[in-house]
Amino acid sequence: MAPITSSLFAISVFAPLGGFLIAGLLGRVLGDNFAKFIAILGMLIAVVFSWCVLGNMLHSGISSTIVPLFDWIHAGSFNVSWYLRMDMLSVSMLTMVTSVSLLVHIYSIGYMSHETMPTYRFFAYLSLFTFSMLMLITSDNLIELFFGWEAVGLSSYLLIGYWYTRPSAVAAAIKAFVVNRIADLFFLIGICVLFILSGSVFYDDIFHKIPELANTQYHLFSYGFQAYEFIALLLFIGAMGKSAQLFLHVWLPDAMEGPTPVSALIHAATMVTAGIFLMARMSPLVEFAPHVKMFIVIMGATTAFFAGTVALAQPDIKKSIAYSTCSQLGYMFVAVGVGAYQVAMFHLTTHAFFKALLFLGAGSVIHALHDEQNMFKMGGLSKKLPATCLLMWIGCLALGGIFPFAGYWSKDAILEAAWMSGSTVGYYAWIMTAITAFLTAFYSWRILFLVFHGKPRDQKIYDHAHESSFVMTLPMCVLATGATIGGFTLAPYYIGKYQLAFWNDSIFNAPTNHIMTLMHHAPYLIAKAPLALGILGIIVAFICYIAAPRIPVIMASGLKGIYQFLLNAWYFDKLYDFIFVRPYIALSKILWKVGDQEIVEGMPVAVARITDRSAKGISWIQNGSFAFYAFTMAIGLVVVLATFLIYH
Amino acid sequence: MNWTLAIPEIALSISGLIILLWGAIQKKGNAFFPCAILSIAAFVAVGFLTLTVSNGVGYNGLFINDEFSRYMKILIIIAGFLSIILSIDFNGKNDTNCFEYIALIVFSTVGAMVMVSSNDLMTLYMGLELSSLALYILCAIDRKNVFSAESGVKYFVLGSVASGILLYGISMIYGFSGGMGYSTIHQIIASNHALSAGFAVGLVFVLVGLCFKISAVPFHMWTPDVYQGAPTPVTTFLSTAPKFAAFALFLRLMIGPFGHLSPQWQLLIEVIAILSIIIGSVGAIAQTNIKRMMAYSSISHMGFALVGLAAATPDGVMGTLIYLTTYLFMNVGTFAVIAAMSRKGHVVENINDLAGLGKTDPGIATAMAIFMFSMAGVPPLAGFFGKFLVFKAALGADLYSLTIIGLLASAVGAFFYLRIVKIMFFDKAVEALDQRSLSLSFVTFSMGTLTLVFMLFLSPMIQMGQIAAQSLFH
Amino acid sequence: MNILNTVGLAPYLIVSGLLFTIGLFGIFASRKNLIVILMSIELMLLSANLNLIAFSSALENLTGQVLVMFTLTVAAAESAIGLAIVMVYYRNRHSVEVQDATMMKG
Repeated sequence: MAPITSSLFAISVFAPLGGFLIAGLLGRVLGDNFAKFIAILGMLIAVVFSWCVLGNMLHSGISSTIVPLFDWIHAGSFNVSWYLRMDMLSVSMLTMVTSVSLLVHIYSIGYMSHETMPTYRFFAYLSLFTFSMLMLITSDNLIELFFGWEAVGLSSYLLIGYWYTRPSAVAAAIKAFVVNRIADLFFLIGICVLFILSGSVFYDDIFHKIPELANTQYHLFSYGFQAYEFIALLLFIGAMGKSAQLFLHVWLPDAMEGPTPVSALIHAATMVTAGIFLMARMSPLVEFAPHVKMFIVIMGATTAFFAGTVALAQPDIKKSIAYSTCSQLGYMFVAVGVGAYQVAMFHLTTHAFFKALLFLGAGSVIHALHDEQNMFKMGGLSKKLPATCLLMWIGCLALGGIFPFAGYWSKDAILEAAWMSGSTVGYYAWIMTAITAFLTAFYSWRILFLVFHGKPRDQKIYDHAHESSFVMTLPMCVLATGATIGGFTLAPYYIGKYQLAFWNDSIFNAPTNHIMTLMHHAPYLIAKAPLALGILGIIVAFICYIAAPRIPVIMASGLKGIYQFLLNAWYFDKLYDFIFVRPYIALSKILWKVGDQEIVEGMPVAVARITDRSAKGISWIQNGSFAFYAFTMAIGLVVVLATFLIYH
Repeated sequence: MNWTLAIPEIALSISGLIILLWGAIQKKGNAFFPCAILSIAAFVAVGFLTLTVSNGVGYNGLFINDEFSRYMKILIIIAGFLSIILSIDFNGKNDTNCFEYIALIVFSTVGAMVMVSSNDLMTLYMGLELSSLALYILCAIDRKNVFSAESGVKYFVLGSVASGILLYGISMIYGFSGGMGYSTIHQIIASNHALSAGFAVGLVFVLVGLCFKISAVPFHMWTPDVYQGAPTPVTTFLSTAPKFAAFALFLRLMIGPFGHLSPQWQLLIEVIAILSIIIGSVGAIAQTNIKRMMAYSSISHMGFALVGLAAATPDGVMGTLIYLTTYLFMNVGTFAVIAAMSRKGHVVENINDLAGLGKTDPGIATAMAIFMFSMAGVPPLAGFFGKFLVFKAALGADLYSLTIIGLLASAVGAFFYLRIVKIMFFDKAVEALDQRSLSLSFVTFSMGTLTLVFMLFLSPMIQMGQIAAQSLFH
Repeated sequence: MNILNTVGLAPYLIVSGLLFTIGLFGIFASRKNLIVILMSIELMLLSANLNLIAFSSALENLTGQVLVMFTLTVAAAESAIGLAIVMVYYRNRHSVEVQDATMMKG
């Protein structure tokens, strides 16, 4: 039983790698269509097997199994063998990632059909990304996880910069890579410190030692602080980078330069959730870092609010959804911070459905309008794109947290957990996320109203619009189903009465942490507030964009400062440009002009010049007259004699 | 009887006399070639004699045979042998047809061998003069060529000054030590702690005379002019055999009789070595004539070889011996290529005349590239091991500044060697060179092969070098 | 007896040193004629000879005088060769001026 399951598990992880290798390396030879077929076949195998594994796991109730693959690094006491870890956390993620990925693969056939270049490269990258993500989630030690972490970053870079002839895409790819690298540095340091502390990078070893090492303290300027606080902080900073939390979020909106399926897969459903996954995976450690947990709550809540406000003012449909993603990730971190990792995982899963759906819907619109992304040029498209319109509505209902769609269940749970944690930061988080719930509904319906309702703003674009093909709408229908029923079907397992059996110890809650039971006892008003705020948001959006479309125009011109502030995403890019980029460029210029050109290059040039001059000098002294040569000899004789006599 | 110790020298002298006689009684037209063949046979025979002759001191202490002298003599004989082979082609081209040329090279070789075997200042002087007088004539032997004549004049005048200085030094040493035998001088130095000024003057004068022979800075200035003007086979000989002989004397004197004074002359040798390396490397950069460039190159090579002497250890002497061996291969090979440089019957000597040789004559260009890389000290070619061993010895003797400066200067030196490679392989081809003769091809490719495969014989070579070096230290 | 006993070694050495210096100066100071240079070389060799004989006499050791015999022979050969080379040079250049022998330089 177990061996079969683990082989299925391993195959499921490596099938996308096979797809990538064949499609990527042989795509040119085999032809575009065959490469696509292979990539999708790989994904299909992965999906089928992952569902089998999920079924087996639920059926058999195995808690956690190590699937050994091979030895990787043996250096002194530093051992890394390549093991896969099969527990409910990784299996649930595996199922989710492969399923969304397969749908995106299929969707991409339609979306990329207008490309003039062969697109096997795109499918290969998608498969590579999926494999990297699977490596990340199925890792059994931090080194493997870091490998997956970096590989995900790499494939993200490749996919964002897929249209490498566009300067903006290349810049966005580099930006995503660099910002992630900054966070990864902290993550790597965290891994190193953890290894030094516990002597291993394997999860099991680390977790076993936590109780005995919990009181280890580091001292800095006579301030003692707990070792695990320090490590958890470093890991969280790493997670912030991948999950686009405040201050490290700047790459996510720019990453929308990539093809829209990429946005759906990477920047909504999977890669950005790596940070949440890391926190859940390291939950036994994070539980011992209460201060960092508080910090996580604050960061999450603030990010949720920040991104929600920014999403209000974005004219670009994809950027609007991107900030929404950022905001929803903030929700998840709030859940992590209050210790409700299960709730975070639940929201992660439902979010994957509806956010992927929204992105694919947006992609469908963009595809229909021939790469038009500005919402203020759309309008009234519900007649032209009825299916897309319907699916987008489902997505928005789920995102806005309207009963009974998926988002309602998970978002509600987060707010309840935040409130019931009972701490000040918990209340802060509740207030911020509740406001954000209103903002979420508002910007979601803003998108819907601007795009699908009202009057067409640009007749030419409107006339050329066409409904997307079946390959594109089908994956969206599947996701829409998930977004509709995912909430109430999964809730009992993820956070409800079966949660202990479902997670089966793969997520750790400290004995003092009763949030999972407490959250179900939230006051009625608190529990229903988000729904009410969501509906209020819809109404306000209706008034602003359908009933009285002049209101936002007046507001935008009346409150120009605030509008610009939001439009420019709180001026983070400008701020970073001012604080980091410009001084860095200035420093680089100094190093380049002075350090490199003057000193480093100058030295060999100067040496060459000196050599050249002295060569000319020597050949000038060599004047051909042997009288002079004899004179030189005499001088040499005298000098040598004098030196010798003096020295001796 | 111990007169047999000098059998190789005697045999070679007799061969020289026979050649002279034979040439004189022959009609002029066909004297050169038979004489050359005769001398080649003589060189081969003398080489074997040198290998078989026994060790010992003879002629009332004037003459010595040991492992060291045998090693150096073999190098000298090879140099003479190869010069003769190169001159066959030269003679064919220039139609000078003088058999005296052969006899002079033979006599000069005899002189060089006597220098190597000298155990007395008198032998030293006689050997040096025999070798030099023959060379003065050889430089001017291309009688219709004004450059050859000028180089003869310059070499004669400056060489005579140098031998005058040397002789004056010998007289001072004789006066202040009471003898001319190396063993006498050795004993006197060993017994006297304080060195008289007159003796020091003599020592310096002798040193200067020898420095002139190996063209060490600041007594190097004759080298470029003489190398340029002398016929190429003569330059080949000039840059090898007399230098080896002078080096042998240098080593024998400095390690033997003056060995106790090593702390006092070490610094002097160090400075001379550094100056030679730097001036040689830098001076070569500005040159357009390839023979002048090779002259500067040989100045820097002599500087590198002196590094081994500056160490004043058996390892250092061994390094110098290996260095000179590799220098022989690379240098003769390069000059064989230079000897092949002619276009439509006219000798061309400009570096740019090599342009595109990689296309027009890839074989010879490859050989030349091997020599150039080897001279620049690129592993695994022969030149690298020479440099490696002398600098290793210098480090072993704690001469750090010398090592660092030497290595830096060798980087500068790499420039002009590599420039030749660049000109040959990357510059646009000029007209092809004339068809080269069989003798030149033989020398070029055999030397190229030796340079290339030297690493295979490294350990026996080092062993021989060590035995030879050890014989100087007793 | 020996005249050396009456005047001592020093005058001989001084004279030979002067001769050597004059010879050396002659070589690089005379800018006119190659023949003068040949004579200067001869002077240098002879100064060394004087030295050798003086030392030989003072040390009562014949080695120095033996070397002088050799040196005289060598000096003769050197002069002959020198003159021959100057002749070759003259035939090519039609001049024995020192300044003219500067065709090769650099």
